[in-house]
Amino acid sequence: MNRYVRIFILILLPWLAILLQSTIFSTYSIKGTVPDLVLIFVAFFALINGEKKATVYGFLCGLLEDLVLGRFIGMNALAKGLTAYILGKLQGNVFKENIMVGVLGVLLATCINTLSMFLMSLVVLPVFHMDLGLGMGIIYQIIYNIVLTVPLYLWYYNSSIYGRLSYDREF
Amino acid sequence: MLKILRSRYFWLVLSVVVVSLIIMSKTSVHRENITLLEKIVRETYTPLQSGVSGIRHNWDGWTIAFANKQQQSRTIESLKKQNNDLTLQNQKLREYRAEALRLRQVLSFAQSKRDEFDFISARVIARSSGNWYRYLVIDQGQEAGVAKDMAVISPQGLVGRIGTVSQHSAQVNLITDRETAVGAILQQSRETRGIVEGLGNSNRLRMANIPYYSKIKKGNIVVTSGLSSVYPKGIAIGKISKVTKEPSGLLLIAQLKPMTDFDKLEEVLIIKNYHPPLEALGEDAANE
Repeated sequence: MNRYVRIFILILLPWLAILLQSTIFSTYSIKGTVPDLVLIFVAFFALINGEKKATVYGFLCGLLEDLVLGRFIGMNALAKGLTAYILGKLQGNVFKENIMVGVLGVLLATCINTLSMFLMSLVVLPVFHMDLGLGMGIIYQIIYNIVLTVPLYLWYYNSSIYGRLSYDREF
Repeated sequence: MLKILRSRYFWLVLSVVVVSLIIMSKTSVHRENITLLEKIVRETYTPLQSGVSGIRHNWDGWTIAFANKQQQSRTIESLKKQNNDLTLQNQKLREYRAEALRLRQVLSFAQSKRDEFDFISARVIARSSGNWYRYLVIDQGQEAGVAKDMAVISPQGLVGRIGTVSQHSAQVNLITDRETAVGAILQQSRETRGIVEGLGNSNRLRMANIPYYSKIKKGNIVVTSGLSSVYPKGIAIGKISKVTKEPSGLLLIAQLKPMTDFDKLEEVLIIKNYHPPLEALGEDAANE
């Protein structure tokens, strides 16, 4: 039973994240920048569950984002899959109980995801304008993501070890 | 190296990456229709985005009612309830007033332009969920007659064009999106033409291909030139905020502040049909 609840919550999280990003958080954006809640949840999953499962999860979460966006389907999927893979490699080497691991993980994930999206945009877009505004937008997103990581990581970690997202516990 | 080539995971990942890249190349912004899967996902989100937007509109009234309720827990019970009701009603009325003023502005604009344009009005229910593209989601779709590439405006100026459409909603690619370009002309002098492009990462615009001898300066208003089949002529795009030279020195580049505040945009008008006024047709014939 817990397995199905766990899968349901793992599907619900990115789905709700996109809804909140496009409605509530787009209203409270910093200079037009919204947080990437989907990336935050993918980063948490990767840190706790390792690279193999995280790659699949990240790819599917990115694909959901692509289907909502309707442009260059596969770009977010590949970017988040790659981000999850790299972050998942850290799973056995960090103390996941420490909130700073979550914060630094999200910081790293934001940088990797942004770099991947940027490189793919250079390939698929005919023209890509680069200026200081792009860099500032990335910095704002990193700050916004980190601010949201602090309360979310504690909940996610506890849920993954003791709660609904854990593998072993039965309800 | 050979060990990796023998690994089935390597071939699985490689095939997923290749298929993703192929799908990515086929799903640019210029395709005619979205897939059934995308329509299903969008139609799932549309009522929820409308609902959340509605809740957000009423949030101020609810928070004040909550604060008042806390304060009034120390006073007589009947006065508490009355004060709650009046505050909530007051906040709702203020919200309705603000909405009425906005809608009056939109209606007045639509009525003033009704000889030129056939409009479909729509409410913004969601905005870009990421930071790479700039778009809005509106609550009108194929059922209301919205189609791809229809121009979208507000009383302040140009908003963008319809990108993808599902049954009950549509995505509006803003002019600040990095894949949008609009043919433009200076409103006052009418002699300087250029292309206005979005930068994608902020609410700023860039006008390129301006001849070096142009008299363009800060404060000039830029409007649509009407040379494309999408955007009618004369719709305000933005105001020049800065003019610089391209590295080659032959052309100028200008930065623009859009006329429309996209972060505060709540209602838009979609141009279904455009009937250019006779004097505009005469001017175009004279220019040819």
